[in-house]
Amino acid sequence: MSRGTLALCAAGLLAAILYPLVVRGLAGAGVGVSANYLINVGMLVFFVAFIGQSWNIAGGFAGQTSFGHVVFFGTGAYCSTILHVTHGWNPWLAWPVATAAGALVGWAIGALAFRAGLKGSYFALITLAFAEVFRILANSVEFTRGGLGMLIKADQRPENFQFRDPMWIYYLALALCVVSLAIAWQLTRGRFGARLVAIRENEDAARALGIDVYTEKVKVLALSGAMCAAGGTFYAQKYLYIDPSIAFGVDKSVEMLLVSMVGGAGTVFGPLVGSLVLTAINEGTRSLASVVPALKNVQPLSLIVYGAMLILIVARLPDGLMGLFGRRKSGKRHDA
Amino acid sequence: MLSKRKFTVSRRDFVAGSTAASVLGFPAILGAQPAAIKVGFIHPVTGFVAYNGQQGRLGAQMAVEDVNKAGGIRSMGGARLEALLGDSQSKVEVGVSEVEKMNEAGVAAYIGCFQSPVGIAASQAAAKYNTPFLIDVGASDLIVNRGLKNVFRLKPGFGVCVDQGISALGAMNNATGGNAKSAVIVHESGEFGTGTARLLAGKLPSIGFEVKEVIKHDNPTRNFDNVALRIRSLAPDVVMMSNYGNEYTLLARTLHQQKVNLAGMYSVLGGGFNYRFVKELPDVAENMMDTNHWFNPKSAKAQALKRRVEAGGALFTFEVYLAYATTMLLADSLQRAGSSAKDKLTEALASSTYDTEILPYGPTKFVNGQNQGSRASVMQARKGDIVVIAPEDVANARPVFPKPKYT
Repeated sequence: MSRGTLALCAAGLLAAILYPLVVRGLAGAGVGVSANYLINVGMLVFFVAFIGQSWNIAGGFAGQTSFGHVVFFGTGAYCSTILHVTHGWNPWLAWPVATAAGALVGWAIGALAFRAGLKGSYFALITLAFAEVFRILANSVEFTRGGLGMLIKADQRPENFQFRDPMWIYYLALALCVVSLAIAWQLTRGRFGARLVAIRENEDAARALGIDVYTEKVKVLALSGAMCAAGGTFYAQKYLYIDPSIAFGVDKSVEMLLVSMVGGAGTVFGPLVGSLVLTAINEGTRSLASVVPALKNVQPLSLIVYGAMLILIVARLPDGLMGLFGRRKSGKRHDA
Repeated sequence: MLSKRKFTVSRRDFVAGSTAASVLGFPAILGAQPAAIKVGFIHPVTGFVAYNGQQGRLGAQMAVEDVNKAGGIRSMGGARLEALLGDSQSKVEVGVSEVEKMNEAGVAAYIGCFQSPVGIAASQAAAKYNTPFLIDVGASDLIVNRGLKNVFRLKPGFGVCVDQGISALGAMNNATGGNAKSAVIVHESGEFGTGTARLLAGKLPSIGFEVKEVIKHDNPTRNFDNVALRIRSLAPDVVMMSNYGNEYTLLARTLHQQKVNLAGMYSVLGGGFNYRFVKELPDVAENMMDTNHWFNPKSAKAQALKRRVEAGGALFTFEVYLAYATTMLLADSLQRAGSSAKDKLTEALASSTYDTEILPYGPTKFVNGQNQGSRASVMQARKGDIVVIAPEDVANARPVFPKPKYT
């Protein structure tokens, strides 16, 4: 990482840390900003970036495109919630167990799929199938309370992984995002990451170079599963209610995939940039109604604008928004 | 020639003038126009239950309009209600985000959210700020069983609806010789359908019904051929459905197309049993029954509201009048509280005895946030219209049961 990039990262982190204090300050000064709402939006940006990064590590860096990453998300959400609600565990203690459960599921799915030689679209479809199986299971078995879902009792104390002040859950999401960026950054530097890139580019060539392709792929899916499961627990503790459609619904998989694709799959900052842009578009278009009185009852407009912008980004920037920086950089090189 | 200097207002003059104006003149004007009371309405106006959300929003807006036309909240100097409209997009996260945004905008209360999971999370978020949250539609009993002081539900939950539905079905069956003895339950796989189906399966034996099978389906489901074939093979007397609008309609149409003979199709909280369904598919709907929220057909106010809604080209579905009645309940509580302060408003809601008139509930009485007087009605589709067959005091027709067989 160049000194300039490092400085930019430090500035970004500082800005993210100061963000809640600044918006609160502005609100206090009567500028007319909605402080807690903006903090909540910031939390969503970092949270979606975190789960998007979990997809990016397997789908972007290792090229193992998954359509059913929500299987890990739901595993984490249900594991910690069952331990907390049914068995009385403290959710902070349940969190690492849920993370490990995500890793285990990742390892198991990876072992089964890669042992069977599934790759590309076949692997993508098998992950989708696993997510559906888990959703149906969660809907059917008693210990998840089936379709009734699981409600976490509201007890807003930090030691109970519930925060009265949205600023703290924002900082937690920020911390998760920073950790995920550090993991992704490490992948770009370390041997493990290099092996993953080799597998992504050409599996046979990687094998010829002596890389244990099967083991590396299983390892990356376990890592990705662990991260995503950690996100699942975070979600459950934030919203205090999960059901099979929420925890294993395909829309979460799409969300993870989308932020990575829009931001730039296989790049360190892609999911964060994607999450930032998509969340901004979504919230911005949704707020149109309150800004433009004529649009008060035209809510679907926000989705239309959101969809149109998404099409534009995907059509014009096939490498994602990070690809735009790459192009500009390479353009400069050519000019020179 | 006038010099520029003559029109120059010095800073001192401006401050003196504006102070005088504020002391002498503005209070009178401000007194006449108290600040509007903001109410946050959160409905899924986009997403897979968008129609229901839009209907809820319609009812809420009509109520706000009526309150304001009638002079606003009189105990607060005629303060007008101002509706802040939010779209949950049928997503929990977005619903909570709307709560945060509206809280910052200074809402006195929230009303929403149609889907129980969104209602659970959104009302939880509102609890952080002690802001009253009124559930207009949301069947799950989890909503009011959490000990949250800020949550109020005017309508009944699925527990009450199932009890009433079962008892009405038992009475109807006994009155016609008790020939129906078995049922198949079809429900959507979410919290609302599963909860209702469990209660139904547990209580049907108490009226002498054997539950032959409980079939669940996902949302959305676009083909019910196999479900209909399964029902035909099980040959139950009654099919009981608990699902959202599209699936309800599709299942009913498939059973009709396959001419599956049943003594009755009897839903509890059948999301699709409404005027749109019975008018667009009168043959399919004929004699179908539903235990659900319904207006009081004997109420002149309800009939007037129905005419107004229909004159606007919309249908008078339960979302409309539940959102309308819930908003009116809030307006009444604001009137009694004389303030939009959250604690006072919560207190006024908790002690409310408001009679909606348009709903067959009687005076409101909240216990743990649930209105004890709320009850469902049992309706039946007849020749493109809907009649009420139970409870007795609001019924305007006798039930047709068992329904005629297909030839």
